[in-house]
Amino acid sequence: MSDNGNFLNRMGAGLQEVVNHKGDFLNLLKHVNYPLKIDLPSETTQHGVDVEIAHSTTVVVVRYRDGVMIAGDRRATAGTSVIYDRAEKVLQIDKHSVLAISGSPAIAYEIARVLEHSFQYFRRSQLQELSLEGKLRMLSRLIRDNLPMALQGIGGVIPIFALYDLGAADDENGGKIFFYDALGAHFENVNFATTGSGSIWIRGVLRYLSLFGDTPLPEMDERQATITILRLLDTASEYDAATSGYNARAQIFPNVKTVTSAGVETISDDDLAAYYAEAQPSGETV
Amino acid sequence: MRDEPYRWIEAIHDRRDYIEDQLRGGSPVVGLTYNEGMVLLTIGRGQRKIFEVHDRIALSAIGHPADIERLRMLVTDTASVQGFQNATEDVNLHRLTNFVLAHTFKQAFESIVGEAYIIKMLLAELGGTYEKNRFTCINYDGNVRTDTTSTVIGGTEAIETGMQSYLATAATDTDRDLTATLQLGLETWAVGKELSSREPEDTESEETQIDTTQMHEIIGVAREDGEIEAGVLETTQRGAGKFRLLTSQEIEDALP
Repeated sequence: MSDNGNFLNRMGAGLQEVVNHKGDFLNLLKHVNYPLKIDLPSETTQHGVDVEIAHSTTVVVVRYRDGVMIAGDRRATAGTSVIYDRAEKVLQIDKHSVLAISGSPAIAYEIARVLEHSFQYFRRSQLQELSLEGKLRMLSRLIRDNLPMALQGIGGVIPIFALYDLGAADDENGGKIFFYDALGAHFENVNFATTGSGSIWIRGVLRYLSLFGDTPLPEMDERQATITILRLLDTASEYDAATSGYNARAQIFPNVKTVTSAGVETISDDDLAAYYAEAQPSGETV
Repeated sequence: MRDEPYRWIEAIHDRRDYIEDQLRGGSPVVGLTYNEGMVLLTIGRGQRKIFEVHDRIALSAIGHPADIERLRMLVTDTASVQGFQNATEDVNLHRLTNFVLAHTFKQAFESIVGEAYIIKMLLAELGGTYEKNRFTCINYDGNVRTDTTSTVIGGTEAIETGMQSYLATAATDTDRDLTATLQLGLETWAVGKELSSREPEDTESEETQIDTTQMHEIIGVAREDGEIEAGVLETTQRGAGKFRLLTSQEIEDALP
């Protein structure tokens, strides 16, 4: 057995020797032997691609008038089976940032949790907020550390990190969208980003709307942006079996969150029901 | 030395005298509850004294800055790891005090060949309901004192007694708003400051009464080379984290 079992014991006694981790939460976790990585037996590595692991599907982020809006469908699949229809793929990390995840939920949730606690730990120990660049690098590091799992085909995570930059000028939209690759490189997307298996069906639409729509994405208000995003998710679910639409019978709506200078807000199911009525005026099943 | 009990006890006495002498001039800290949470207040001299430990736990202390920093890191690290490994709801002041801090303080104090911590720590924990709010004071020797509505830490016991007796007469309204609570906290701080500036023998005397004008003078003088610092744990704060430092504007607005 590895020394992971010592973790609880170390919490009881080991921490009394105070080590200055300089705000680095991953260092602190390593110091107490928290198992950050999953050790796979070698046979799993060889047949890794045959293992059916739950995967999440379409998430989309757009920059609108007040900041950024992030939405994700609720379906988690393993192979051709739907294993869960209420998955949360848009996770709040701190007061002004959210992570939208696609890929393996287990790893994605752990990345989100480490990220959330890392930001808090930095603030509490160093007495200042982690900078925007610092936050982006922390996420890069977590994704890069996960590369072996991604290569084995069972733990790949491609997130979108969306936040509101409080350092933005008053007349400027502080909403920012960052897209990551599997190695942890981050790229700033200007007006939109989408990832997951359903994203290929809507990426072109997003570009079209962003450039040629009646109201360009960055000028939309909350209502317009929500309706647009619901229609996009509906389109993705039409063509991608791993993306769910709106389940009217069970009243399961996508997760839609906004990040503005005031912080992160979740659009309630009641509001989403009203927006859906507008998004689908003909009353078609979505 | 442990083989010679008398010398050990003598060494402990010397150590106590030394630490208390070092603590005497420390700027007191006042902890009060108000209608929307808890507040910790002091007037610092440049160095920050009120800290966030976890979602519902805040910390302040008097003592040597290096010791405060080391023990602050200890409690922050422990709370962060516990909150991550289990859930943030599993982090509580009782466990941090009794399983981590108190025995660390005691051990350092009684290991007379090692360095002692020059510190008195005050922690506040916002409960789920008003009744469960908790202030915990940990003395340098590991002794723990717990209160639910208000508490103080000062350089000596006599200073704390003086501040407590002022609070007992002045804190009549149990449903104060933040402004009234800040004012009460500052007045209590001024009582402590006044007592700490007196000679030790005078501190013990009964004449601890000072009027409001004197209090405001003391606060005014302290603000010339220091700054009022106040942190709150607010029930109204959205999200899990309840701590925030008050802005200088908020503090200014609360001043009479």
